[in-house]
Parts: sequence; C-alpha cells; structure tokens
Amino acid sequence: MRSLRTRLLVGIIGGMMLLLLVFSVIVYTVIRRALLNQFDASLTATARILAASVEYDDDEVELELDVQMMPGFQSLERPAYYQFWQHDGTVVAKSPSLGTDDLLLFEGSLGVPVFQVLQTRSGQPGRAVGLKFKPRSDGRDDEQQPAKQRTLTLVVAHDAGDLYHHLRFLRWLLVIASVGIISLSFLVAAFVVRRGLSPLNSLAAQIAAVREDDLTTRITAEHMPAEVVPIRKQLNDLLSRLEASFNRERRFTADVAHELRTPLAGMRSTLEVTLARMRDVNEYQTSLSDCLAISKNMQAMVDNLLAFARIDAHQMTFHPAQIQLAELVNSCWQGFSDEARQRSIVFENRIPAEMTCQSDPESLSMALSNLLDNAVEYSNEAGQIWTTGRQADDSVEITVANTGCRLTNEQVSQVFDCFWRGDSSRTNTGVHCGLGLAMVQRIIKALGGHTTVEVQNGGIFTVRLTLPDSLRT
Amino acid sequence: MRLLLIEDYRPLQKSLGKGLREAGFAVDTTGDGNEGLWYAMSNDYDVIILDLMLPGMDGLQILKELRAKGRKNPVLVLTAKDTLEDRVTGLDLGADDYLVKPFEFKELLARIRALMRRRYQEKRPCIKVKDLRLDLAAQRVWRGREEVQLTPREYALLEYLAMRAGQTVSRIDIWEHVYEFNSSASSNVVDVYIGYLRRKIERPDRPPLIRTVRGRGYILGAQS
Repeated sequence: MRSLRTRLLVGIIGGMMLLLLVFSVIVYTVIRRALLNQFDASLTATARILAASVEYDDDEVELELDVQMMPGFQSLERPAYYQFWQHDGTVVAKSPSLGTDDLLLFEGSLGVPVFQVLQTRSGQPGRAVGLKFKPRSDGRDDEQQPAKQRTLTLVVAHDAGDLYHHLRFLRWLLVIASVGIISLSFLVAAFVVRRGLSPLNSLAAQIAAVREDDLTTRITAEHMPAEVVPIRKQLNDLLSRLEASFNRERRFTADVAHELRTPLAGMRSTLEVTLARMRDVNEYQTSLSDCLAISKNMQAMVDNLLAFARIDAHQMTFHPAQIQLAELVNSCWQGFSDEARQRSIVFENRIPAEMTCQSDPESLSMALSNLLDNAVEYSNEAGQIWTTGRQADDSVEITVANTGCRLTNEQVSQVFDCFWRGDSSRTNTGVHCGLGLAMVQRIIKALGGHTTVEVQNGGIFTVRLTLPDSLRT
Repeated sequence: MRLLLIEDYRPLQKSLGKGLREAGFAVDTTGDGNEGLWYAMSNDYDVIILDLMLPGMDGLQILKELRAKGRKNPVLVLTAKDTLEDRVTGLDLGADDYLVKPFEFKELLARIRALMRRRYQEKRPCIKVKDLRLDLAAQRVWRGREEVQLTPREYALLEYLAMRAGQTVSRIDIWEHVYEFNSSASSNVVDVYIGYLRRKIERPDRPPLIRTVRGRGYILGAQS
C-alpha cells in the first residue's frame, strides 16, 4: 500500500465497517433481548394466571379458568398452548389447541419460570415457559400429603413466528443499511481524501517545475495546509543549499577557467606573433623558452587545482605517524630557501626540537609547504619568516609568520577564499593562483584541526594551525 | 597609429607589444593600473587595450576615470572573465569592444583597425586620396595601379595622414600618433619619415600629394 490515498481509504472504510458491525450487533442484541424479554414476560404472566386458577380439591386438580375466555388456547392461527403435569408426570390438563399432542415437560425450581425454544404444532418456532408451582388448596388440612406431591408443573407455549420474523427483518435491515452506508461513505471518503490530498499534487507539480539549471525557484505556500508547510520549508531549504553549492561550484569553475585563460592567451599570442613572419634563431629561442615557462606555470597550477579538488572531495587517505614538527618544517623549507636567500629573507624555525604530534605527515607537509611558499611570496625584501610551536593538553599549535604584509583586517578574513589574492599584482604569476591558504584550511580541517589568521601592527601576517595531538581516522 | 596596452601578465604584454609594433603601430605598454591611467590621460591614444584585473588600479576603474574625465579614446577590453555580467559591466562603463582571452592575434588586429576607422569616421576599409589608395585591412598602398612597398612605420605615418586627408596635421600630432612614448624623439624624426614617404609615393609627372604647410605641419591630398 504505497499510495497514501489507498491507505487512507482502506483505513477509513475498514474502520467504518468494524464500527458498523459492532454497532449492528449491539443494536440487534439489545432489541432481540428486549423483544424476547417482553414475549417471555407475557408468557410468564399467562402462566401465572393459569397457575393461579388451579386448585387442589381432594387430590383432584381443578382448573377454574374458563378456557373460553382465553381464545389463544383454541385458535389455530398463532395458537397458544398449555399443559399441566402432576409431580409424578401424569398430565392433569392441557389446552384444546394441543389436540392429541403433548408439550415437552420441563421445569425449574419452585416458582421460578424457565424458558425454552420449541417448535409448535403448526411448524412455527415458538417459545415456552415452564413453571413449577403449588396450587391453592381448598383449605382443608392435607397433612398426610407430602408437600412435594402437591406441586404441579405448567408449561405454556406460544407461537413466536412473528417475533422471529421481526428479528430476521431487523437483521436484514441492519445488513442492508450497513452495506449502503459503507458504499456511500466509500464515495464520500474517496472524494474527501482526493480533495484532502490535492495539496500534495500541487506540491508535486511545483517540485516538478524546479529545473536543474535554475535553482532559484522556490515552492510557494499558497493554499498549503499546515501539514505540508514543514515539507515545503525543508524542500526550500534543500533548494537553497543546493543553489548555494551549485553557485560555489560554478564560481569555482569560472575562476579556474579564468586562471587558465590568461596564461593560455599569453602562450597563444607569443606563438602567433612569432609565427607571423620569418625570424632569426635567437627570436625563436626566446619565444620557445617563454612558452616553456608558461606551460610549466600552468602545470603547477593544474597540479594545485587537482590537489585542491581531491581535498575538497575528501579523497585523502591518512597514515598517522608521530611527527617531529621542527624537522618537518625544516624539510619543507628546503624548497623555498633559494628564493628566500635571493630576496635576503631570513628564516627562523622556533619550534622546539623535541615537539611531536600524531598526524598525517604528508598532508601536514603539504599544508606547511603552502604556508611557507605563501610567506616567501608575500614577505618584503629582506624580511623575516619564522615558525613557532606550542604544545597544549591534547593539541598542538603551529604558527607561520612573515613580515611585509600590507593587508587590512577586513581583507584578512578573505584570505581563505579560493582565488583571492591580497594584492592583485600577484595575479597570474602562475604558481600562486590563490588556492594556497584555501587549501591549507581544508587540509587542516580534514586533519581535525582549525586555521586562523591575523595581521599585527607592523605588517606581521600570522597563520595559526591548531591540530589535535592524535589523529582520528 | 598609437596604442596603449595595459596588461600585467608579462608574456602577454611582451608578445602583444611585439606583434602590434610589427603591425605598424606605435605601442606604449604598462603592467600597472595607476601608470596605465596616467599614460592614458597624458596622450591621445587611438586605441587603448585594457586588461581588467590589474595591480594598482582595476581596469574597470581606469575606464570609469577616463570616461569621467571626458576622454573618448576607443577602449578595447581584454579579459579572461567571460560571463555576461562582466561583458555588460565593461560595455556599460564605456568600453568600445570586448575580447575574451585567449584570442587570435589577427582578431585583435582587426578589432583595433575597426576601432580606428570608427574613430576617424572611416567606415570603408579603403581610403582613396586622388590616385593614392590605402587598403586598411591588408595594409597595402597603391599609387595608380602600381603598388608601393612601405615599411610599417612609413605605412603608419601615411595611414594617419590619409585618415585626416585634407586637414593640416601638425608634427606634434604625427609624433604622438605614430611614435612610441618611450622612443627618443629627435625634433626632425617626423620630417625624416615624411621625406622617406615622399620618395616612395610621389611621382615626378604628377602634382605632389603631401604638401608642407610652413610652420604648421603637413597636409595630404589638398589642392595646391
């Protein structure tokens, strides 16, 4: 039962059927009992009148009642019957309507009527009451006669065809009414459920109208019942998140294209201008080495982009190890020492030699290299770069600082944005395509830590890495 | 024709400068935004080729400043940004044309020429002065039926004179439009080139095309 409509319909109709069944059974039982009680009460009343009209007179049972007065006992249409027995089972009297037949003898305790269902002579169902009683005596002393012998049993029966007929009619009435109600309520429920669920259809239509290339559409709340509103809100929130993510992706792709276009344009125009006419060997050599330099830069950029994409897609695998931090920083610095020397930049590694950290050496090395690269790139001529380390309870803090920073405090918050460069004069230098700090931030996050930056007076730019001492993989 | 190229990516600046000079333009180059604006304000360039992302001052900012100060020099924007908004912003700020990197050098040349023709109200790709004919697209020159071979510099000088045919063009104007900012200007360099040009295009059996207006400059194709 996948469909909400089917489920609701089955629920409603099933419930209705059960309720109607219980209701009908109760109604039938109550009415039946009331009718039977009434019938039995009238039988009992007749029996008591008959019993009261019996008198013992010298061991003779005398029926004082004139049967002529009670035509039911004679009629052939819906007749009534009675029969008296003595305690020894001998028949004392019976109604003319019985003819030669006898009623079945049954009795309860003295004075208490008991009832039975039977089939009357006319073949109709009937009901009978059996009453054991002491008839009135004529007043003489009957001491020698045991009390038991003086009891009589009277059975009065009456054709109950009408009663059972009415009950049967009632049964059918209830069945037909129930079926009718069920059918009608099925129609009503189907209509109501369809109407009730129509907001879902309109919601579905609205969702269907959302196109993958335009995520700015939102689902409107018009005519939405309260139950659908949270769904709408969640869907809209999802759309917002998707839109933001798609926009980020689109911007990133556009930025990547932009970063690659400029060197491509340089290479293309170098080649086209060179090929425009015959030149001497030196000119060709210059052009070719220019193009080679551009292609090297582009390769470095593509490598950076790939590394970045991998980090972003959480495709990094970590191999935790105990890292000697000072040693790692020194080995990362190797790659930049030449450039630093050329620009008379002084490097000082202040991380204590014994300081260690449990983390992934390769990722941490990538992050540190990026930071040192950045520091060299943005440090002033004859500036300073230094690293510090501090061990806390369950984390380590590493800082990389350089002088010569010209960023304002507002700009500092942007350094983690992809392709952002503090000074656009760094544009298109190729290797530094503005991914460095964004990459560091993501690596450190993947390692379970976090990154902060600050600019102090005097242009000291500090990046602070806080790493957990043990890497959870 | 004198161009200003403001582009900070060194390989592009270098190759474009070289190619444009070889095509006969006088080209001033700079990679800095502030310097670029200063260049643009101090000379009447025929076309300014402007990159958008620049150190010092953003390309769009330069464009805004130029237009705010009433400079109407044609500006061709070169950029790696190719979204519609970027183009619209550039054109709305007063750029005359737009080229997305990477581009074909020939296309850049064609667009620069188109901008120049527009500047000098010259829609045809050919200029005729009497029986002198210049094909601006092919940069070829004919006197009558005979083609005249000119060096790029000579051609540039003749083209500038032809664009302003019938008007007196001062030596300063010629120097400003045909020679580079950085080139060492000797006072008679213009006269020397006019001499070269006369030797190549004048015919002894015909009235002279280039006339000297004493104390004022030169005039091409005016009635004597």
